[in-house]
Amino acid sequence: MSAHLFRPLVRHAPGVGALALSVLLGASPAHAQAPETSDEGTLKYRQKLMSGVGADMGAIGDILKYGLPLQSLIVAHAQMLSQRADLVAAAFERDVSVGPTDAKPEIWAKPDEFRQMTQDMKAEADKLAEIAASGDAAAIGRQVKALGGACGSCHDSFRKPKEESYKRAEGGS
Amino acid sequence: MIVRGAAAMLAAAAALHALPGLAAEPSGDPVVRGRAVLEAAGGCTCHTNIDDDGPPLAGGRPLSTPFGTYFSTNITPDRETGIGSWSDADFIRAMREGRAPDGSAYFPVFPYTSFTGMTDDDLLALKAYLFSLPPVRRENRPPEAWPPFSWRISASAWQWLNFAPSRFRPDPARSPAWNRGAYLVHAVAHCGECHTPRDLAGALDTSRWLAGTSDGPEGELAPNITPHETTGIGRWTAADIVWYLQMGLEPDGDDAQGLMREVIEHGYQHVSRGDLEAIAAYLATVPPVENRLLEHEHGDP
Repeated sequence: MSAHLFRPLVRHAPGVGALALSVLLGASPAHAQAPETSDEGTLKYRQKLMSGVGADMGAIGDILKYGLPLQSLIVAHAQMLSQRADLVAAAFERDVSVGPTDAKPEIWAKPDEFRQMTQDMKAEADKLAEIAASGDAAAIGRQVKALGGACGSCHDSFRKPKEESYKRAEGGS
Repeated sequence: MIVRGAAAMLAAAAALHALPGLAAEPSGDPVVRGRAVLEAAGGCTCHTNIDDDGPPLAGGRPLSTPFGTYFSTNITPDRETGIGSWSDADFIRAMREGRAPDGSAYFPVFPYTSFTGMTDDDLLALKAYLFSLPPVRRENRPPEAWPPFSWRISASAWQWLNFAPSRFRPDPARSPAWNRGAYLVHAVAHCGECHTPRDLAGALDTSRWLAGTSDGPEGELAPNITPHETTGIGRWTAADIVWYLQMGLEPDGDDAQGLMREVIEHGYQHVSRGDLEAIAAYLATVPPVENRLLEHEHGDP
């Protein structure tokens, strides 16, 4: 991006441009190379990703519990959840279990089991997309519950319980 | 909110003549009604040692409390190790007065403190359902608690200090749905046993009814379910509460965990929509209590 900005300068006065560019590179290497992977950033990304999973689940819930005339959108929400399952698998490859996180170290002790659970999530989401297309409300409800069950099984094994959550208020109760 | 016109008013007048027991459900078969009572009680899963794949309702599940570990009892109809030899009066006395057939007191880890509000009809239907199940032979296990909390006599003393059997009394100023919800929350579903903080003696602090505790059963955090706007569930709609109890999914899409997930799965999800709506109607009227147990809870960034 910075190279693009300096292109006109380089064209008109190549020597000055090269100097300016090297000064810039020396002064702020962040512009020229990727930032180092940060644990904090990894945690922040994962939390946003998981909030997104919750947002789709919550949105499907709202469509059904309030009987919104948006039932046809459940297919798309389910497809997004299916995609998100792949993102979850990728987001937790890097072992970061220290810091403000509810991820249990077991994720990296049993990576195959964790990956399998993200695949279970994907399978249930795919099934929901299929069933939602049929428009059968009772069947949709059952499948939303099954998908929620996939969330729950993975959380049981790999997420800290509420009482150990990083969100726990200090000295709360 | 619930009463919407003349028809509802009429229904309200009619319903006030009866206690809001589950036995008012259409089925005449006490076993069928009893199953509904068990489900409204969350499936009585404390009596199933789920972690060790124990047989349903045969007891032996460790229940850790600040006073030590207690083991749930066998409530299958085995005549020697379960409740198979109990009379109707024995069963009602256990549930409503917290006393065993031999007259000894139960520790309050058994929530007779809530079940005391249940109607005879509901209790006898529940007994009929339990007695319809296969008997399982499994001896009960004494508590692993520190003296004096392991002594039966201290359960008597505790009852003398902290407990008086009492039926649920409907509030005639409220709608039948509200009374039904209050009955379910207070007595059958025994929500307060986990969601209300306890005092030093282990009795419910009713001044903070349903305000949540970080020191709930099995060491779990039991959230504040009063309608407090930021620390309770004041932002949940009635539809959110019904959906949660049916699906185990919170408004933000997160799933119910721990004991709550268990009681939804084995019980609350099967409760009729009308009853779940009644529960929501009642919960909306509980005095809100500020009690923050988690940061950023309920959608705060």
